[in-house]
Amino acid sequence: MITKDRLLKERTRRRFLFTGLHLLLYFSFSLNWTSWGSFLAERLGATYLSGAIVMFVVLVVLFIVLESVFLWLSQREERS
Amino acid sequence: MMLALLHRVVVALLPFVALPAFGAGAIDGEVARQPLNPTAIVMFLLFVVATLFITWRASKATTTSSTFYNAGGQITGAQNGMAIAGDFMSAASFLGITGLMFIGGFDGLILSLGAFGAWPVLMFLFAKRVRNLGSFTFIDVISQRLDRNPIRLVTAFSTIVIVVMYLIAQMVGAGKLIQLLFGLPYELALVIVSGLVLGYVAFGGMLATTWVQIIKAILLLAGVTLIALLLLAKLDFSFSALLKQATENHPKGEAILSSGVIFNDPIQILTIQISMLFGTVGLPHILMRLFTVPDMRQAKLSAYYASLFIGYFYIALLVLGFGAIALVYNTPAFFDSDGALIGGSNMAAIHVASAVGGDVLTGFMSAVCFATILAVVAGLTLSGAAAISHDVYAEVLKQGNPDPVTELRLTRISVFLIGLAAVLLGIAFQNENVAFIATIPMVVSASVTFPMLLLSLFWSGLTTRGAIWGALVGLVSSIVLILLGPQVWVSVLGNEQAVFPYDYPALFTMPLSFMVMFLVSMADNSERGIVDKENYRALEWRAEFGDSPAGEGATS
Repeated sequence: MITKDRLLKERTRRRFLFTGLHLLLYFSFSLNWTSWGSFLAERLGATYLSGAIVMFVVLVVLFIVLESVFLWLSQREERS
Repeated sequence: MMLALLHRVVVALLPFVALPAFGAGAIDGEVARQPLNPTAIVMFLLFVVATLFITWRASKATTTSSTFYNAGGQITGAQNGMAIAGDFMSAASFLGITGLMFIGGFDGLILSLGAFGAWPVLMFLFAKRVRNLGSFTFIDVISQRLDRNPIRLVTAFSTIVIVVMYLIAQMVGAGKLIQLLFGLPYELALVIVSGLVLGYVAFGGMLATTWVQIIKAILLLAGVTLIALLLLAKLDFSFSALLKQATENHPKGEAILSSGVIFNDPIQILTIQISMLFGTVGLPHILMRLFTVPDMRQAKLSAYYASLFIGYFYIALLVLGFGAIALVYNTPAFFDSDGALIGGSNMAAIHVASAVGGDVLTGFMSAVCFATILAVVAGLTLSGAAAISHDVYAEVLKQGNPDPVTELRLTRISVFLIGLAAVLLGIAFQNENVAFIATIPMVVSASVTFPMLLLSLFWSGLTTRGAIWGALVGLVSSIVLILLGPQVWVSVLGNEQAVFPYDYPALFTMPLSFMVMFLVSMADNSERGIVDKENYRALEWRAEFGDSPAGEGATS
C-alpha cells in the first residue's frame, strides 16, 4: 500500500522528470544556431526538406507525445 | 533588385523580430490605410452578431462574482483548451510569424516553437496544482501559504503592469492592423475594439469571453487549414515542391531552409526561448483560464487540448510561411510601383490568402484577424479587472469578505476603466515604437510570476520576504535592462549602441529573481518566515490531493 506521502513524492518527481525532458528537447532547438548543429542545415536526400525543418515538426510532435504519456500515467494512477 | 526589396522588408519588419509573436501589437510604425474592404466588413459583422448574441445569453447567467470570473467552473477541458488556444493564437502569431518567415524562412520558426513550448510546462507543473488551490486568479494560489496582504499587493501590481503593457501593444497593433485590413481610421478602430470588448466582458464575463475565444479559435484554425490545403493543392500536395519553389523565389535561396538569415547569435536565441516559454507560462490571463473548469482532471485536459490546437496551428503556419515565399514573391500584383509589398510586410499572410482563395478568403481572414484581436483583448481586460476587484478590493481591502453586489459592480467599473484606458493609451502611443512595450509583459511574467508560482508550489523554504524581494528585483531588473537594450536605447532614444545587447533580458533577470527569492528566504528567520515554511506541507497536500493532511492546515 503506497502512502500518500510517498505518492506525493512520486508525483512531484514525475512532474520534474517530464519538465526536464521537455526543456532538454526544447532548448535542443537552439543547436540550429550553433556550429554543432550545422548538420541540420543539410537537405534530406533529393527532397527540399532540411534537417532543421524536420526537427521543428518532430519537436512539436514529441511535445504532444510527452503530454499524452504524462496524462496517461496520471489517469492510470487515478483509476488504480 | 530583390536584395533591395529584402532590405526594405527587413526594415519594415524589424519590430516583429523583437516582438513576441504571441501577444504583441502586430503592426508597428507608419502603415498605409487601405481601401474599405466590404467582404471583410460583412464577415466581421456576422462574427459580431453571433458573439453579441452569446454575450446576451451569458449575461443572464452572470449574476455573481464566481460566474463572472470563472464562468461558474462549468467549462469542459476540451472547450477550455480551445478557449486557451483562442486566447493565445493572436493576430501577431498569424501575421507576424508568417511575415517573419516571409523574410527569413526557417528563422521565423523560433517564435513558433518558443510560443508552443510553454504548454507542456503548464501541464506538467501547474495545471492541476493551480486549479486545486486557486479560485479566481493565480494570486489566490501564491497567497495561500504566504502573508496574504503584501504578497497580493505585489503580485496584483505585477499583473496590472503585464496587462496594461500587453494591452497597449495590442491596441496599437489592432488600430494599425484594422487600418490595413479594413480601411477604417485608427481611432475608430480602437473605439470599435474597446466597445465590443466592453460589451463582451462587462455583461457576459468569463462565459462570454470563453465563447468569443472558442469561436475565434475555430475560425482561425479553419482559415489556416484552408489556406494550407489550397497552397499544397497547387503543388500536388508536395511540401518538398513548395519548399523548392520558395528557395527559387527568395533572394537567399536554399539558405532559408535552415538558420542564419535573420538570427545568428545563439545567446539571442536562448533569450528569446526563455522569455517566450516562461513568460507565457506566467501570463495571468492564461493562468486564469485554469479556474473555469470543474476539477483538476479537466484542468490538465485543458492544457493538453490547448497544446493540440496550438501545435496544429504552428504546423499549419510552417506551410503558410514557406507558401508566402513561394507564391507572393513572384506575383507583381502584391507589390507597389516602388517594389514594396502592398500594405507592408505583415500582410504576407493575407496576400497568400488572396493568392489561393481570392477576395472571399481574403475577407474571411481579415475578419478572423479582427476577431482575434477582440478575443485577446477580452481575456486581458477580464484578467486586469479581476486583479483590481478580486485581489485588491475583495481580498486585501475587505479581507476576503466583500459585499458580492459591490464586488461585481466594481468589477464592471474596472472593465469600463480598463477599456477607456486602452483607447486613450492606444491613441497616445499611436506614433511610438511599441516593440519594447510588447516585450515587457513577457519578460516581467518570466521574471516575476513564474518564479513566485514555481517556488510557492514546489519549495518549502519560500517565505513572504523572499518572494517579495525576488519579485521586486525581477520586476525592476526586467524594466531597466529593456530600457538599456536595443529596443529603447537605440530604436527609441536614438543612441548608436545599446548598453545591454539583448532585446529579451529574461535569460538574466529570471535566474536573478530565483536567486534573490532563494537567498532572502534562506536568511529569513522571522516569525512570519517560519509560518510560511510550516504552511508548505498542508499546501502541497491540498494542491495534489485536494485535502489537508490529518490535523494540519495552512495559517494565513
